[in-house]
Amino acid sequence: MFQKEAQSELRARTGIITVGLLSLCTVVALTLAVFNMQISGNLAAGLLWSAILFASVPALPRTFLAEEELGTGDLLRQWARPHSVYWGKVLYNAVQGVVTGVVLSALFLGFIGMHVAIPWLFALSLFGGCVALAGTVTLCGALVARASNRAALAGAVSVPLLLPLIAIGVSSMRVSLGSGFYTQGVMATIGLYGYAIFTLAIAPWVFASVWKN
Amino acid sequence: MRRSSVKEAQTANAIQPVEATNNRCLSILPTDIRFYTGAVLEVNGLGKRFDDRWIFRGLSFSLSVGDKLVVRGRNGAGKSTLLKVLAHLLMPSEGSLEGPPGDPRLNLSLSALDQALYPHLTVREHLILASDLRGCPARTEELLVRIGLVEAGDRFAALLSTGMRSRLRLALAIQPEPALLLLDEPGASLDEDGRTLVASICDEQGQRGCLILATNDPEERRLANLELNLVD
Repeated sequence: MFQKEAQSELRARTGIITVGLLSLCTVVALTLAVFNMQISGNLAAGLLWSAILFASVPALPRTFLAEEELGTGDLLRQWARPHSVYWGKVLYNAVQGVVTGVVLSALFLGFIGMHVAIPWLFALSLFGGCVALAGTVTLCGALVARASNRAALAGAVSVPLLLPLIAIGVSSMRVSLGSGFYTQGVMATIGLYGYAIFTLAIAPWVFASVWKN
Repeated sequence: MRRSSVKEAQTANAIQPVEATNNRCLSILPTDIRFYTGAVLEVNGLGKRFDDRWIFRGLSFSLSVGDKLVVRGRNGAGKSTLLKVLAHLLMPSEGSLEGPPGDPRLNLSLSALDQALYPHLTVREHLILASDLRGCPARTEELLVRIGLVEAGDRFAALLSTGMRSRLRLALAIQPEPALLLLDEPGASLDEDGRTLVASICDEQGQRGCLILATNDPEERRLANLELNLVD
């Protein structure tokens, strides 16, 4: 499933181009907004998470939405177990999300000249945040893919799931960028991984119950 | 495990109404006398509606190894919808559906005209992906020869002609050698060779399991030994 997603994406390049263009636009906009300003870790963490969300959220649920738009969802329903479909797609989205997060962070921090105070915490926070985001957004995409009013439904389903993730992610990242207390950052990072594990553990079961219906 | 059952002999050419409904009558017309064992599919009081409109209702029949059922009816009568319900792609609105026994990924296959393919995967990659997900042998080269797409094996699905896509759908459907094969208008876009291929697939399926064929084509109807007419 992962191989199919990667092959299709590398040939069609729809998602990659979308993410690339949105990432570039976001980073340029944010860099221009804070040009020549000394910004705090708090603000930088918020801006970076906004950039990651803006670049990832339109692209990540496409793995499921594209199946329904192409009409290939029925093929997968005939061929595959729901868990295989979910894990294949979430793995592909996690890889894409982590790559997006790394590239965005490098560009953003490089352009604004921000120093990372605790690199290992930043790396853990970025990785955990991107994986949790991929798991959450993939699940939202799967839940709304077959609905006729999927755009409106996607917002309603994803906001309650994304808000806690954003709160924990920003708390974790701002400490790694030099604001707040070290123990708070570590606790927030543990919370971030807990959220990621919880989402990834529960999502396949939720997905399996809606996939065939 | 297949449940053993013996179907009663039915008199040839005798129309036996199954169940009258509020707006449709479903009937099974046996065209052959057959004894067999091994129930593959049991349908009891099956109905499907979209919003307030019943597509079909009160459908009951059972199929066993060797049965080849043709479903016919005018456009919009619900032939394709019935096949999708039998393939577990649509939930029935009422009634129950049992079978085929075992893993449906291996024992149940549908080939439909409106079934989309992955435009950026090749013919060969479709067969490999399907076998990987189903957990059955890919039989890629064997199937490519069978459906006459050896030379188009590395061509993307988006670049295939309508007939070639139909052949690929057939190959994907027969790949796991299912107990129940559902074919929706299989010969609609096929040339003479393609129609011969459909006939051989139906013949082979009749020996292996059972077949349900949705069509109004008189030639294809002759491939079956049972007939279900969806009428108003």
